[in-house]
Amino acid sequence: MSEEKNEKMQDADEVVQGRRDFLKHVCTSSAAALVAATTPSEAVDNASNPDADVTVAEFFQGHFLLMSEEEKLQAIARLEKRYSAQYSKKTTVSNAPAPDGVLFGYALDISKCIGCRRCVHACVKENNQSRNDPEVQWIQVMKMPKGNIAFTADQLDKGYPEKSEFGDYGVQVGGNAYKTAGLSTEDAQNYYNDELVPDKDFFYMPVQCQQCEKPPCVKACPVRATFRDHAGVVLIDYNWCIGCRMCQLACPYHARRFNWGEPHLPAEEMNPKTHYFGNRPRMRGVMEKCTFCAQRTREGRNPACQEVCPVGARKFGNLLDPDSDVRRVLATKRVFRFKEEAGTYPKFFYYIG
Amino acid sequence: MKTALSFAMDFGAYAIKGGTKYYAWLLFLAFFILVGSYTAYIQFTQGLIVTGATDQITLESFFASFVFTAHVAAAAVLVVAPGYLYHRKDMKELAVIGEIVAMVFVATGITFVLFHMGRPDRTWHIIPGLGYMNFPNSMLAYDTIVLNVYLILNSIGVVYILYKKYIGKFEAKQLAIWFRPIVFLAIAWGPLIHIVTAFVLASNARVGTWATAVLPFAFLSMAGASGPALIVLIFLLLRKCTKLEINDSVINLMTTIIAWSLGIIILVFAAEIFTLLYPGTEHADSLRYIMFGHNGLNHYVLWFWGVILALVGSFAALLFSKVRHSYDRWLPLVCVVVFVAILMEKPMVLVFPAFSPTPLGEYTEYHVTMIEFFNVLFVWAIGFLSLTLILKGAIGILTGEVRHDKSSAASQSGA
Amino acid sequence: MDFLHKSPAIVALALCGVLATGVSAVNSAHAAEEKPAAAQNAQPVTDCFESRIGYSSVTRVENADPKYGYPNVKCSQTTGAVLWWGDPFDGTIPMGEMPDISDSTRGDFDHAVVKPREPQLQYFNMGPNGCETCHNGKMVPFPKDSKPRLIGMHQDIVENSLKLMHGRGALWCLNCHSATHRNHLIDRQGNEISFNQPQKLCGGCHGENYIDWRAGVHGKRIGSWATGGKKRWWVCTECHNPHTVQKARFNQLKPESPPPLPRGMKNADYERAGDAKH
Repeated sequence: MSEEKNEKMQDADEVVQGRRDFLKHVCTSSAAALVAATTPSEAVDNASNPDADVTVAEFFQGHFLLMSEEEKLQAIARLEKRYSAQYSKKTTVSNAPAPDGVLFGYALDISKCIGCRRCVHACVKENNQSRNDPEVQWIQVMKMPKGNIAFTADQLDKGYPEKSEFGDYGVQVGGNAYKTAGLSTEDAQNYYNDELVPDKDFFYMPVQCQQCEKPPCVKACPVRATFRDHAGVVLIDYNWCIGCRMCQLACPYHARRFNWGEPHLPAEEMNPKTHYFGNRPRMRGVMEKCTFCAQRTREGRNPACQEVCPVGARKFGNLLDPDSDVRRVLATKRVFRFKEEAGTYPKFFYYIG
Repeated sequence: MKTALSFAMDFGAYAIKGGTKYYAWLLFLAFFILVGSYTAYIQFTQGLIVTGATDQITLESFFASFVFTAHVAAAAVLVVAPGYLYHRKDMKELAVIGEIVAMVFVATGITFVLFHMGRPDRTWHIIPGLGYMNFPNSMLAYDTIVLNVYLILNSIGVVYILYKKYIGKFEAKQLAIWFRPIVFLAIAWGPLIHIVTAFVLASNARVGTWATAVLPFAFLSMAGASGPALIVLIFLLLRKCTKLEINDSVINLMTTIIAWSLGIIILVFAAEIFTLLYPGTEHADSLRYIMFGHNGLNHYVLWFWGVILALVGSFAALLFSKVRHSYDRWLPLVCVVVFVAILMEKPMVLVFPAFSPTPLGEYTEYHVTMIEFFNVLFVWAIGFLSLTLILKGAIGILTGEVRHDKSSAASQSGA
Repeated sequence: MDFLHKSPAIVALALCGVLATGVSAVNSAHAAEEKPAAAQNAQPVTDCFESRIGYSSVTRVENADPKYGYPNVKCSQTTGAVLWWGDPFDGTIPMGEMPDISDSTRGDFDHAVVKPREPQLQYFNMGPNGCETCHNGKMVPFPKDSKPRLIGMHQDIVENSLKLMHGRGALWCLNCHSATHRNHLIDRQGNEISFNQPQKLCGGCHGENYIDWRAGVHGKRIGSWATGGKKRWWVCTECHNPHTVQKARFNQLKPESPPPLPRGMKNADYERAGDAKH
């Protein structure tokens, strides 16, 4: 968010704050009852929840970007307290800002990707997704036929229209039609479960949030719970999201995942180093997606998926720095954007290395 | 103030009075409300995981039903407009019934949206000032505005008309100057809510099937068929069971609207099918899926052809004047078929199959859960209960059975 | 391979080989592979491998980073692969001196670290003096020239020494392994190179890849994303096996588990129906 916008939102903040205070005073007691009624399973599940005040305070919490510094610190402290109790380990919730002068970008080599799905599971280990019921994964890998097996000689004379008593008009639709080959989602397999990868007749394409420069999800969100930070990453305030899923509808990359039920995250698997907009544990009924590992990248470290890729197909860095890995890829390789016709201008590139 | 209180008391007292069939109907609805309260409790405590929605098919039956309620709510202007725009005397009296239908159905739709939300407890986030409304970017923000404004406009209209009739001051001179503008605004607003609802769907790059300019036309024509179908049923029922006078001319007008709305629906379907199938680009994938299935997934195929058959059949039937004038037999049957076909078209044709293939080429089927099903019935039951009670009270006022001068006696006996 | 560790007698025999380098398998990783995938809630996998089985192994250490209670690595229950590094620089050493190539792709080596390769090499770790425990000129005499000849040892690394699967006949063991200082590699100019810096050797022939690697385009680096930041570089032999490239550039490997099916779906057969068409 630009400075100018920030100021604007600060101004808006005062107005919002005044009204919210009013609301707070008027109906704290009734709201406590309301919250208890609307989130009882949270209250029951998290028997270790330090106190109900935390839940009530979270309920009244405004949009994080619209908060004052003091409110932000309070919100962070609340969350750290709640998470630490809930997962029985010291949890930090960072509020580190996006670095200045940086535009995050990603490049993925589809000629190298072997479809091993380690990125998918590294992401889950890092980002505190619900492990089961619902099982949430932010990266999905498509397996697509190369095309070397798409054409067969026995189909050479087949096709449409066939020769008949009405005459021979010549085959207009060849017998080898309707077989996909190459980069196409049409016959993509997302649930392949091969013994070994890569399958020699297929190639693979992992898809995650493309961090669009013109993100349709941000436009669609009715409460601006999802927004683009000034390093170009699209983030979500999980405490502000109302769960209407308009962003999921708008996303042409199937990149967003919804917490359909209460997330199940075993305490021993929980990653206690979190960021407010990144991998902090989510609640039921809110949207989540790849944040380029905000908790890591805002502090200088590579995203988990980049680090795990065994073939080095993933490159991450600053698009404004000509010496960054990702810029070097853009400068020297054949690069494309997925579904560029969607007009979203992703900062996630695919390349043929 | 006192008058207003007696208005409310008399209205309420009349609304809950009725015969055995009336109470049976109320009890029938109450049953679904009772069951639904439990299933709604489950959904609000466990989340949308109890529905069939997935990341692949992210809209559930609630959103599909919401679109349908928007159909009916928008169509109610077809009852209001002839009276006020064309000065049809036979319709002017009945305009308030149209407004009641609009009011109740838009409220039902908003309830469906609350069921659709993952965090209904955070609804306040969208209230400008208190929260943050992403206006003018988000289409859902527009929809929130138009739906609520429509609800308010119709509520004002209904209450004002009924109140004025109740106190017996419904002459043109006795009406407030803001009343006519409000009615006209509400008439214009009806199609507007529907166009905006169509745009909420059409604005999504993910779902190619909806990214079509005919969507608002499809919606308006379906509104023109499903709304009047319900209204004809209500009118036929009212003139059979109550003293309210409804001329054949009114029914005939509604029937004509249904017939030609169906005609437009068929044209819209045909145009869409041709435009997609002839070039056969990737945009046709979803349509092919629903028409013919995909690698053994053919959950929606029968629904699609069933809906098409019902719509074409109803259109053909309404071309016969015998059917159109068979007020106690064929016409209600056709209206039920139209209503149910368009009701089922929403989830099984418009919404669920549109999500296949997903942007990553997945084909999936939606499996409605029992809890979801009963929650849909729950909202419908609340909607129909409100509709029944409000209509009942309104008829008391329209027929003159409930009047201000009798009010003291009525309220005393009621107490 | 297990027997090498178990029986000292056989080990001694095995030490009398000629060729002892490269990316020999490390047995611990195999154990992980055999674990049933079903053991979801079992204890965390402790014997892991980094890029591929046999290239480099890691043992999970609990609470390696006390600040967050992080283990050094988290590994896959399904495959035993390292999925997540608590500390990307765990067990690394400085990359060492790198030649300066004054073109636009000059490497960003100021804070470059690598995981040393030497501890990962099986034969290297069999005696106190590394390979030179045997290849000291006495136990195994130094070869007189680098002409290819049939070798009876280290057949687990190179099956047939007359058919080295690298260089298509133009290369042989001693083109890369120092004849007299067997703990080192040797380049075309006779410079001795540490096993920890294979890039200096490989880069001699594979110039294009070498330049890409220096630029961060080829290969893998973890740690900081920023130019000039501290990065752990993966060196050539952490992913490539120079002894077999010609036969199998990379072996297939076991993938991680597929995503959950959408609720209500029983299987994903409809996806594979496309296969039948082919």
